[in-house]
Amino acid sequence: MSRIRYFARETWTNIRRNLTLTFAAILTVAVGVMLVGMGLMAGYASGNALDRWEGGVQFEVFLNPQIDPSQIDALGIELQTHPEIDRIEFFSAEEAYALVSQQMADQPELLAQVSPEALPASYRVVPRSVEAELIESLAAQFRQRPGVMSVQTGREEVDAIRTWFTSFQGIVLLLSIVLSGASVMLIFNSIRVAMFARRREIEVMKLVGATNSFIRFPFMLEGMLHGLAGGIIGAIAAGALRGHVEGLFSRSDVLAFFRSFVVTSSQFTTVVFVTVIAGVLVGMIGSAFAASRFLDV
Amino acid sequence: MIRFDNVTKIYKGETSAVDGVTLNIEKGEFVFLVGPSGSGKSTMLRLMTCEEKVTAGDIHVAGKDLSKLNSWRVPYLRRNIGSVFQDFKLLPNKTVYQNVAFALEVIGRPENVIRTQVPAILELVGLEDKHRRFPDELSGGEQQRVSIARAFVNRPLILLADEPTGNLDPDTSEELTSLLDRINRTGTTVVMATHDRTIVDRMRRRVIALRHGELVRDEQRGAYGSETDSPETLGIHPVDGASP
Repeated sequence: MSRIRYFARETWTNIRRNLTLTFAAILTVAVGVMLVGMGLMAGYASGNALDRWEGGVQFEVFLNPQIDPSQIDALGIELQTHPEIDRIEFFSAEEAYALVSQQMADQPELLAQVSPEALPASYRVVPRSVEAELIESLAAQFRQRPGVMSVQTGREEVDAIRTWFTSFQGIVLLLSIVLSGASVMLIFNSIRVAMFARRREIEVMKLVGATNSFIRFPFMLEGMLHGLAGGIIGAIAAGALRGHVEGLFSRSDVLAFFRSFVVTSSQFTTVVFVTVIAGVLVGMIGSAFAASRFLDV
Repeated sequence: MIRFDNVTKIYKGETSAVDGVTLNIEKGEFVFLVGPSGSGKSTMLRLMTCEEKVTAGDIHVAGKDLSKLNSWRVPYLRRNIGSVFQDFKLLPNKTVYQNVAFALEVIGRPENVIRTQVPAILELVGLEDKHRRFPDELSGGEQQRVSIARAFVNRPLILLADEPTGNLDPDTSEELTSLLDRINRTGTTVVMATHDRTIVDRMRRRVIALRHGELVRDEQRGAYGSETDSPETLGIHPVDGASP
């Protein structure tokens, strides 16, 4: 009990003595881990939006919601037996609804306006060749079939978007590495300053036989708290960013294409978890480094 | 309690600070370590607390072979050794009570132990009325008594004092030495490095004299500079830094 009180008191004194450096360290951690969160969310969003284009899917035939079940089968057989088509996958209205409701879990009022009946079932088609002209002609053929609502192609766009997101993630990752390095160094220095301010206490502690781990603990705790605070601020910033970007996409007609670029709430929970853990890790590394450097027997 | 076997300590790029010293200090002894500045007194004390490692030879303190002691065990060794310094090393932002309690707190002693031990030790050193004062509100002698209280509050087996009276006037020095004497009578081994001729001559305790890191004299009831010393040792002055 006296030990807990001792650690709490010492850590708090350290933080208070050293406010500007503490703030600098916390904010750098926050920006760094926010970038980690941003990169992660960009990956999730593009993954979610481009999900249907996985596995060589080149175009998707959306069916009229009022289509007759026999028509669905007929269309399926026609697609399957087409010489230019390798394989197809049927995606029912219920499956489409399940996907949408997963993506809109955070916006129940929006989800309430979507009914499973209004969502089209579809066939995802993998042709034998990826030539753009062939795909266009195939798409044109099926666009005219009875019961077909629309046919979406978009392989090239999808590839372009995927490339763009990958390089975006790369840049964000690089920046977050740079900032995490800077955070480690800032925490290292703020712990060093804290130790210098308390060098007399440390000297006396060594003199009377306090163990190294006992001497180090308040400093490690301080570094970890810097990291935790930065991690939490970073996670909040990432959340605000997510809301802002999704709002932007849903309001603007120009950006309508990006509406499917959403991060589900379970994915966002992962993002929060990762950013906070990243912050704590950065804090621990910085302070452990300082403690081992400046607290030898 | 303390045994040196042919101990040599050489600091980087210098001549030996301690050179081939062999000695044995029994439990409960009171020993003066004398010699001019730079003769190796402080190094001897720092070797005993593992602040320095020997270059050659063996040291045993409180039953531990220091050359075989793991670095993580060093703190536990130091809990058996109280240390007192010329500059007191008190924490200026803590009261007398807090300074003494700090020594128990940081080795994880429970609060009820701290609450009984600290007042008892402050009474022993005669500072029970001043426990709320800060170090800069005390005289030099009182500050040194606080530092002795801090060194002794955990009842160590050994008390090492490195020129504890170096900053104090003669009367205060006398008081302090008699305090160390009282602590010695409880069975604690006391080793005191000093320049204070008057005290050494009056106490008539064991005297170990060093010169250039070598042990030049070891007498059971010695004086600061006795007839057995070489002329150079006799010529030293009790003030720090005045010797050649």
